Amino acid sequence: MKWVTWEQVGVDRMACAWLITKYLDRDAEFLFVPAGQKPLPEGAEPFDLPGVRLSHHRGHCTFYTMLREYALHDPVLERIARVVDEADTVQDVTLEPAAAGLDVICRGIRLVSPDDQVALERGRLIYDALYAQLHVEAAEGGFSAGG
Amino acid sequence: MEQLRAPSWVLLVYKIPREPTSSRAAIWRKLKRLGALLLHDAVWVLPATTWTREQLQWLAVEIGELGGEAYLWESHLLLNGQADVLAQQFKTRVNAAYQEILSELEQDEADLVALSRKYQQVRAQDYFHSEVGRHVRERLMRARGGFAT
Repeated sequence: MKWVTWEQVGVDRMACAWLITKYLDRDAEFLFVPAGQKPLPEGAEPFDLPGVRLSHHRGHCTFYTMLREYALHDPVLERIARVVDEADTVQDVTLEPAAAGLDVICRGIRLVSPDDQVALERGRLIYDALYAQLHVEAAEGGFSAGG
Repeated sequence: MEQLRAPSWVLLVYKIPREPTSSRAAIWRKLKRLGALLLHDAVWVLPATTWTREQLQWLAVEIGELGGEAYLWESHLLLNGQADVLAQQFKTRVNAAYQEILSELEQDEADLVALSRKYQQVRAQDYFHSEVGRHVRERLMRARGGFAT
C-alpha cells in the first residue's frame, strides 16, 4: 500500500518507514508532499503529520504511536520508541543518551541523500543496527552501552 | 565569532486546563528545556529554526490533546532594535548558566561528569552561539584528567 508524509524526513520518519517495511507492509510505497500541502494523495495512509491517526500523541513520537496502533509488542521496539521520542521532541525526562546522536545522524543522512526516498533507504541500516545492538543488550539483561 | 542574528521568531500562546497540574507542569518544563523566553507572562518565544518550529508544532499538538488551546506564529519584530534586545535576553540567560558552570569549575574536586552534562543542556539552548559557551567548553576540555592532549 501507499504511505504519505511530508518532505524532509528525519529521525522519526526514518524509524517509521523502517518499521512499516519490516513489520507491516513489505511492499510499502512512500510518497512525499511539501510540508502543509493539502489535500493529501488519495488512498495513501498519512504518517507523522499533525492531526492524523499515525502521528505524535500524548507527547510521544509517531514511531511510538505506530507500535500502539498496530499492537507490536517487542521490548526492543519499545526501547527504540523511547530513543526516538527523545531524539525527535523535547522531553522533560531523558534516559537514552543515544537519542541526541541518532537525531544528528538522521539529519545528516537526509543532507547527503538526493531525495527523501533514498534517505529512508539509507536510514534502514541505522535502525537495523540500533535494533541489533539493543537486542544484544536486552539479551544480556542490561541497559548499558549504546544508550 | 560574529553573533548569529535570528531573522524571525516563533511565538506560542496557549492555555491549558488547570487540572491536572502535572500536565500543565510538563508543558512548562518542556518550554523551559527548549530555552524559550516567556514575554510579559503571555507569549513564549524562540528564534525560528527548523528545529524550534518542529518542536513547538508538536508541543502545540500535545497541548491540544491535553484539552488546551495553542496558537503558533512565526513573525518578525517591526520596531527598530527590538530583535537585538530580544536576542540579548536569550544570550544573557545562557551566559548566566555558563557562568555558573565556570564558577563550579573553580572549586576543588569539581564534579566534571555533572558539569559536562550541564554544559550540554545549556548549549542546547544557546541559539546565538555565546562566546562564553566556547570558553566553558575549552575549560572543560582542559579540566579532564589523564593525558593533556
